[in-house]
Amino acid sequence: MKNTKKVILPLVLVIGAILVAVFSNILTNQSTASSNHKTQIVFWHELGGPSEDALKKVVDGFNKSQDKYQVVPKYQGTYDEAIQKILQTHGSSTSPAVFQAFDISTAQMIHSGFTTPIQDFIDKDDSFDVNKISPVARSFYSNGGKQQGMPFNTSQPVLYYNATLLKKYGITPPPVSPTYSDITRVAKELYEKSDHKVKGMTVQVYGWFMEQALANSGASLANNNDGHTGNPTEVNLNNPASVKFLEWIRENIKSGDFIDYGSGASAGANQTAGFLADKVGIFIQSSASIGQLTANNKNELGITYFPHPDGQKANGVAIGGAALWISNDKPKEVQQGAYEFIKYALKPEVQAQWQKDTGYLALNKDSQKSKVLQDLYKQTPAAKVPGQQLATAKPNYYNSGILMEGMQLTRQLEEIAMETVYNGGDINKALDKADKDINANLHTLNKANGYK
Amino acid sequence: MLKSPTTEEAIEKKQASSKKRSTFKLNANDKYFSLLFLGPSLLILGLFVFYPMIKTFYISMFLTNTLGKTSVFAGFSNYAELLTSPDFLNSLVVTLAYVLGVTFFTLAISLLLANLASKKLPGIGIFRTLYSVTMGVSVSVAAIFWLFIFNPSTGFFAIIANALKLTPINWLTDPSNAMWAVIITTVWMNLGFTFLILLGAIESVPQTLYEAASVEGASPRFQFFKITLPMISPTLFFVSTITIIDAFKSFGLIDLITKGGPTNATNMLVYRIYKDAFYSGNYAQASTEAIILTVIIAAFTLLQFKFLEKKVNY
Repeated sequence: MKNTKKVILPLVLVIGAILVAVFSNILTNQSTASSNHKTQIVFWHELGGPSEDALKKVVDGFNKSQDKYQVVPKYQGTYDEAIQKILQTHGSSTSPAVFQAFDISTAQMIHSGFTTPIQDFIDKDDSFDVNKISPVARSFYSNGGKQQGMPFNTSQPVLYYNATLLKKYGITPPPVSPTYSDITRVAKELYEKSDHKVKGMTVQVYGWFMEQALANSGASLANNNDGHTGNPTEVNLNNPASVKFLEWIRENIKSGDFIDYGSGASAGANQTAGFLADKVGIFIQSSASIGQLTANNKNELGITYFPHPDGQKANGVAIGGAALWISNDKPKEVQQGAYEFIKYALKPEVQAQWQKDTGYLALNKDSQKSKVLQDLYKQTPAAKVPGQQLATAKPNYYNSGILMEGMQLTRQLEEIAMETVYNGGDINKALDKADKDINANLHTLNKANGYK
Repeated sequence: MLKSPTTEEAIEKKQASSKKRSTFKLNANDKYFSLLFLGPSLLILGLFVFYPMIKTFYISMFLTNTLGKTSVFAGFSNYAELLTSPDFLNSLVVTLAYVLGVTFFTLAISLLLANLASKKLPGIGIFRTLYSVTMGVSVSVAAIFWLFIFNPSTGFFAIIANALKLTPINWLTDPSNAMWAVIITTVWMNLGFTFLILLGAIESVPQTLYEAASVEGASPRFQFFKITLPMISPTLFFVSTITIIDAFKSFGLIDLITKGGPTNATNMLVYRIYKDAFYSGNYAQASTEAIILTVIIAAFTLLQFKFLEKKVNY
């Protein structure tokens, strides 16, 4: 009893000291931030890891470039969860002035009425030439001819292959814009010539790839031109483009050269590990993975465009990633500051450094001439390919994203359809089931929102 | 700890009943004091337990729009829709299978290990430490560890299968195996704690009982089923209740290992609620599911106390 009493007092003191230190730190942080005379711009984002460091560089650069505004970045977890936080805090003192929202939440953001369209600021600003920014990326976040959000971290789905392995087994690499059968040929040859030691290919169970297969075939998922000419009321996933895409995968599953890594972040990590360990030769992933794939790769990395169906031209894929939006619940001065920050983030030199640091594509056309990117391309020539894919695509309804609410659930249902086929299920049945579920959700959502 | 009604208890009962009578006649002062003492806890309970519960039920009677606000009154149609939806019924079945699987294997394996580790042998301390070591492993660490093992091309199982020229099992991509994968992981995580509790219970069984049984010539198997099991039944009851409740609430492992997939094969109720609310923003459906889950867990707990507790020796 006496002993425990002796321990308790120091323990309480130590814990107390730690608490005081922690809280005083929070308090002083707040006071230093508010004591300088800059206008605070709270910025919510969802980038973790190395991308977060790169983002901090952009923010620091902006804060040093002028003395009117102070951007305060705050990490908010995953893309999906952040959307709910943004919608639920709007109008309160904790809401952000500028935030990052991912591609498939665009319809939600526009319909919420919580944002000021970037177009309003661009129209008043003669010093900003918006035509320098990639048109495919811009069209993804615009509606009714108005720029709503501004594309920021932008990626493209591309196909990666192990060029060293192909050389080793004497296999002709796929062309830069391959068809499904081009990829099947390489995958089969790799599997056979390696004596079944290397699997030919994989396609991660990811709704984004399914949508990209539609975009690249010139097919739409939702009616009203994927929502670009009116709110969608019906989806049609069971169309020839999806069937061709899934048949292509099934053909490779049947011949044994395909390996299934499943869905989600762990699948992404597993397939990257498999690719780097020479266990699989070809996979599809976001262009933002280039950094990771070149830094740890003893082999030469090959990159092509996203594959397209045989007998037709590639329509070009849509972008992925996220945009920056300005909340309309903040004073004019704060909103203007948010716009200045977005403008800074799209400067040629900032975008060039951003692409080098993260693998997300530089959106400003002038970035390509910069020394940073020229050096990068010299070092890894393949790193040029995603940017070329982005530049060659002409924006149309099919490759400008699907402007529809409920896309988060839609993706999950697309993934269930993919999983069903990967495990031997019937393609038409799987797609019909997905259509039924997506439509049921869409009808409820339209009813709840009062859309016609 | 067997108790028979004694005179002492009878007196206590009498006192209690006389007290009961007196509490019905509260004077003004008592009322004031009872409110003063109960007030804070009632306020906190009301604010953080009853209000959210009622609000959840309220939301479940509506459709919610993109902003998460209730918009169109739906009555019980959310319930009707869910209870007839094959996907939701699949979630119920999957959850039950998972709960039963996890509880059965956790109890069986930890009982076996605890029984082995209770033997007085040299070096048994090392095994006791080894068996209980998973207690100190966090969910995220366990998930990453098992993800490495399940990796289809570089994982431990895949390497063994390749060495033996067998086709590797698709642990996480085949719907029928994914359930086993999460059960194995959860059981592995549960073992440490359950083992320790059961070991403590077995150790506290009086040695005299075993000595008497040995003298009578009872086999070790007979001793285990007729002495050990009945004597540790209160602990087994406690551990099974905890394991069942934990399994119903299982979230972290599912989120990190399968995310409810493939083809909803591991989409448990709790995970489904989270996904519907915070991924899809469908608060009405999530609230409806939450109410249904509450009813199910309440029913389970009631059943357990009604039937299992009767069989327990205190």
